[in-house]
Amino acid sequence: MSRFRSDLLLLLVLALHSAPALSDLIISKLDRRIDLTSQSVRMTLTLKVENTGPDPVSEVSFTFPEHQANNLALLVAVSTQGKGKTRGSVTNLPIKVKQPNDSPPSLIWYAASLPKDLGKGEILNMDVLAVFTHSLRPFPEKITQAEPQLFLFQDSAHFTSPYNVKVQSLTVKLPSENVESYTKLENSKFSGSEIKYGPFENLPALSYLPVIIHFPSNKPFAIAKELVREIEISHWGNVQITEHYNLIHGGAQSTGEFSRLDFQARQHMRGASAFRNLMAMLPPRAHSIYYRDAIGNISTSNIHSDSSKTLLDIEPRYPMFGGWKTSFTIGYGLPLQDYLFQSGGSRFLNITFGSPMIDVIVENLTLKVVLPEGSKDISVSVPFAVKQSQETKFSHLDIAGRPTVIVEKVNVVSEHNQYFQVFLLQPCWIVHYKFSNISLLTEPLMLIFWFFSLFVACIIYMHADFTISKSSASYLAKLQWDEACETLDLVTFLLFLEVLGTIQQLQDIINRCLLIHDKLEASLRELSRTGDVQACKAVRKSADSLLKDLSKDLKPLLALLQSSPQAAHILPKVEDLFVKERDLQEKIMLKHATVVDSYEKKSMGRDTENRLASIQQKISALKQEVDDLLEFVEDI
Amino acid sequence: MAQSAKPISSPVPVDWYPSLAVLMLAVGLVITASFFIYEATSSRKSRSLVKELVTGVMASVFLGFGSLFLLLASGVYV
Repeated sequence: MSRFRSDLLLLLVLALHSAPALSDLIISKLDRRIDLTSQSVRMTLTLKVENTGPDPVSEVSFTFPEHQANNLALLVAVSTQGKGKTRGSVTNLPIKVKQPNDSPPSLIWYAASLPKDLGKGEILNMDVLAVFTHSLRPFPEKITQAEPQLFLFQDSAHFTSPYNVKVQSLTVKLPSENVESYTKLENSKFSGSEIKYGPFENLPALSYLPVIIHFPSNKPFAIAKELVREIEISHWGNVQITEHYNLIHGGAQSTGEFSRLDFQARQHMRGASAFRNLMAMLPPRAHSIYYRDAIGNISTSNIHSDSSKTLLDIEPRYPMFGGWKTSFTIGYGLPLQDYLFQSGGSRFLNITFGSPMIDVIVENLTLKVVLPEGSKDISVSVPFAVKQSQETKFSHLDIAGRPTVIVEKVNVVSEHNQYFQVFLLQPCWIVHYKFSNISLLTEPLMLIFWFFSLFVACIIYMHADFTISKSSASYLAKLQWDEACETLDLVTFLLFLEVLGTIQQLQDIINRCLLIHDKLEASLRELSRTGDVQACKAVRKSADSLLKDLSKDLKPLLALLQSSPQAAHILPKVEDLFVKERDLQEKIMLKHATVVDSYEKKSMGRDTENRLASIQQKISALKQEVDDLLEFVEDI
Repeated sequence: MAQSAKPISSPVPVDWYPSLAVLMLAVGLVITASFFIYEATSSRKSRSLVKELVTGVMASVFLGFGSLFLLLASGVYV
């Protein structure tokens, strides 16, 4: 407060002493309106500039005191042709800072260059919009939950123009009809929610008359300390926008305790300075909208959409009091054809610059535009000063990464969005880049390649031979099977099946023979225990007949195998088995006969014993061989 | 510039994505099935590499585009 005061005094003094540099122009009429209904202060100037000097003038200058200029978020000037209500075309005037050498140090000069020089005696109508942030000072700086929020606003009743002004007036619009106090001048008037100062006539250049207004305001003072907006373009038909907010209530600091009960019961009395919800004006046809924070989805949100806009009403997890912070993320998708255009060889994105939140000041805006992989020759055109850089972002199905344009700007207000509200003119900012539609196919090609490599792996697996033992029976049979499948000859195939069946039967019979052999051996053991020769002979007799039957069955099977070519590779083994079994049978019979014989004679000579031992040896050897062969055949 | 600019839209209308995904994945899976049936029923010697590759390529084209459209339809704009 005291700093401002001293600034103003200094200005006043300087204004009285320094001679204005540009005195050829005069402002014949100046209307200034200051809108204090929201947290950003909007100043609209409507002025009529007249060239009274002999030389044509190409620039019109404006000055703002330094403390205002520091908070200046936006300054736009347009010139209008024609008079009164029949205003003609509107031209946007480029503005730059131009500090003359003899300027007082606490004044910042802005020069708007005119489209064509203003000749002698000519009149130009101009409209200027200036938006200031952080220009309202909460006073008192700390309030409790129940207290209303009061602000101080300070300006000059005279616009500090570098030119002489014939007639000027100032209108200040307040958010409500209440005002705590305001500087009363001779011709000041307070009516409704407006304070009027003026008209003041024939003021010299840089005249200054401070006024202070102290007024209550419970408008949301939502300030985004940090906003990261990520705009991701997919040429498959979507513009995905993700916005990360770091929000603070920038009004009077809340002090004392917070009572949720009071807040719920009498919100207008106890909690008037807080705001509960925020509105975001999303473009029409926005879809897949979400609102979440670090914990997860925040369910207190609502959408109202019509053909011209989508209104997103979001409520933070708690009411926001002065100095309280919250952070959250909103995201939505937009149809591509509304924002991406082609002109010549290049494509350009034309999308809102700032936050879609209504009446939120963004202190630090970081805008990331993620272009599709393969975009080239990227350029950004922004009509105001920004910091630009580029990086690469990796997302789904990327090889080289997506080129990302980063634009950073401080103090962004809603007027920075696509079109200036009153001062409608050009689209605000555009990203140009080149992209070929062939690059669009990279992603499906990657997927196709991925699937194809699976198929190739499968083909390789099926073609490769992973068998360790190339001579095993199962392997040979598999080869046989493959061969049968390959020729797809039904007869051969059936024959092959027949061979398999025959071998099975053969195996069966031989197993039965072996069982009979075991029985014979058992009868011999019985004989040695009981000495019952008759029983043993009976066993021998039945075994003989059984074996005869079996060998009868065996013969046609063997003949079948011999005749079929499919069994050729297995035939030697089967024949071998057959011969060995026959041999074994003979030996067992011989042993049986010898033993029974010796029992009948009731004597066991040494030579008989020797003979029996040798027969027994052969039997065990043959048994081993038959077992091996059987095992082999079973493997098939 | 703004006058000559024409809007860029997706190569395939966005509304078609779900049905395209279902259709192409179905066709792709049928071809995949025929590929594996062929692999299982033919012997190593009778298998024709060309036939296998052609079936594989066709199946992967359908599955590739099908899964792309599935991603797009489910909101993952690649």
